[in-house]
Amino acid sequence: MTAVWSVALITFKEGIKSRVIFGIFIIALLLFAATTVVITLFMRDIVKVAIDLSLSTVSFAGLLTLLFIGVNLFGKDLDKRTIYMVISRPVSRSQYLIGKFSGIVLLSFVIVAFLGILSAMPVVLSKRFYYYPEARFDWWIYFIAVIYIFIKLAVVSSIITLFASFTSNSFIALVLSLVAYIIGQSTESVRGLLASQVEKIEVSPILSYMVEIAYYVFPNMSAFDLKMQAAHGLKIGPDYFIWTILYAIFYIIATLAIGTLAFRRREFP
Amino acid sequence: MRSLPITIFIILFAVIGNVVAIAMVSVEREVLREKEGAGLVIPSAIAKVAALEFKGILADIIFSRAMTYYGGKAIRGEKVLEGEWKWIYESMDVATDLDPYFLDPYYFGAMNLAWEANKVKEANALLEKASQYRDWDWTIPFYLGFNHFYFFQDNEKAAFYLMEAAKRPGSINLLPTLAARLSYQGKKTENAIIFLQEMLKKTEDKNVRWIYERRLTALKAILFLERAVAAYQDRFKKQPQNIDELLAKGIIKTIPKDPYGGNFYIDKDGTIKTTSELR
Repeated sequence: MTAVWSVALITFKEGIKSRVIFGIFIIALLLFAATTVVITLFMRDIVKVAIDLSLSTVSFAGLLTLLFIGVNLFGKDLDKRTIYMVISRPVSRSQYLIGKFSGIVLLSFVIVAFLGILSAMPVVLSKRFYYYPEARFDWWIYFIAVIYIFIKLAVVSSIITLFASFTSNSFIALVLSLVAYIIGQSTESVRGLLASQVEKIEVSPILSYMVEIAYYVFPNMSAFDLKMQAAHGLKIGPDYFIWTILYAIFYIIATLAIGTLAFRRREFP
Repeated sequence: MRSLPITIFIILFAVIGNVVAIAMVSVEREVLREKEGAGLVIPSAIAKVAALEFKGILADIIFSRAMTYYGGKAIRGEKVLEGEWKWIYESMDVATDLDPYFLDPYYFGAMNLAWEANKVKEANALLEKASQYRDWDWTIPFYLGFNHFYFFQDNEKAAFYLMEAAKRPGSINLLPTLAARLSYQGKKTENAIIFLQEMLKKTEDKNVRWIYERRLTALKAILFLERAVAAYQDRFKKQPQNIDELLAKGIIKTIPKDPYGGNFYIDKDGTIKTTSELR
């Protein structure tokens, strides 16, 4: 456990020191500032627009961090051959991989926590600016949505870990993770579209099977997207929390297990 | 270090050139965009998939694009064309497919389609969708009730929606009374005035307020003339031929102005109409 923890801490420190993170923070701050200007263009649902923009900024900044820093934190050791230093120490390969994963998750936790609190500012401002009496809003649901952004990023981290465990360079890992993220975001919509059949388009059974397989293989990212619920203060039942969190945990365990399996058999050139 | 002034010169030259060019580009783009017209609407099925986790933002963008286009036309005093209304309706439909709880596209679409474009059916379709999702919001069935009452003269349906609105939290106490009044056909103008006054209380948007206020002024003038006609009938036991007769017989002192720019007249059936048809 100490081995995992020390790898995680090193990874985290390396990530937080990265210069890219400043860029991401500046982008996020600019987007928060832009939110306060953009909301004045809308009519009544101003708080909703502010929440949309704030939460999307947190999520976007988190994704950028994972894709640009997270992937590189894996890549560096392999590209610069410093991996030999690590595997010659009393750290097993699976400990190393899980440590790296934990470090990245820690990094995304810090970013979501920091930006999540900052993201409340435009929302508070928008409420001051104009609050439509028939609009619904609840800080609880807002912060639950922020927590779910973190859960989503943890799932994305596990995918990055998996891809980094067997690809030979970080760029390929980046592309694969990005593709997995995009598929994960859209499977639910595509599946719903095929099931509804409203458009009266004939769908070949092979396509339906492929979508079905993709739905189970890739993480259903829509399950962790509670932005709309936060924007309109919609109630969410406790069962939803239990099952989505369990889903995230099982998914992460499965991905990491496959990742360690691949990483243990890997030969370093 | 002779190259430094040259570099600075080149930078200045490029910056100035850039400023001039971008100004010209904006002008050229304006021309091009006008020719492009309102543009296309992404079908909701595709938009939902392509928006990934940013469906809310895409809804905001689609809505504000249609709204600013409409606003630009309104500022320039241009008429919105038939095809453009269709585009506005479809944009609002897609925006609310992406975020079915988003009030602004429902509100903007329903107000302008019903009042400006005379497309009450489309306006009601949007409001029906809104009522289904925003099931806590009493204002939506209230607007639906108004549209059925005022534009379709369907008092039964209007009363149904008003009662639905009355069931929702925070609704005004007036609703059940208003619903009951609707079953009493005779008071159309008065009921419309009550409706509009309530709607005005809930409205802050300047453009929408202006629409309501103009109609309210016209309706008050019509009510004034209707009462004058009734007084005339009481006194002389016959219908007045025209409005000037009311003036001549001293029942009214002045003829109110139609804010829509028309002239009021008494129709064959004795009702007050205006040459502007309130448009």
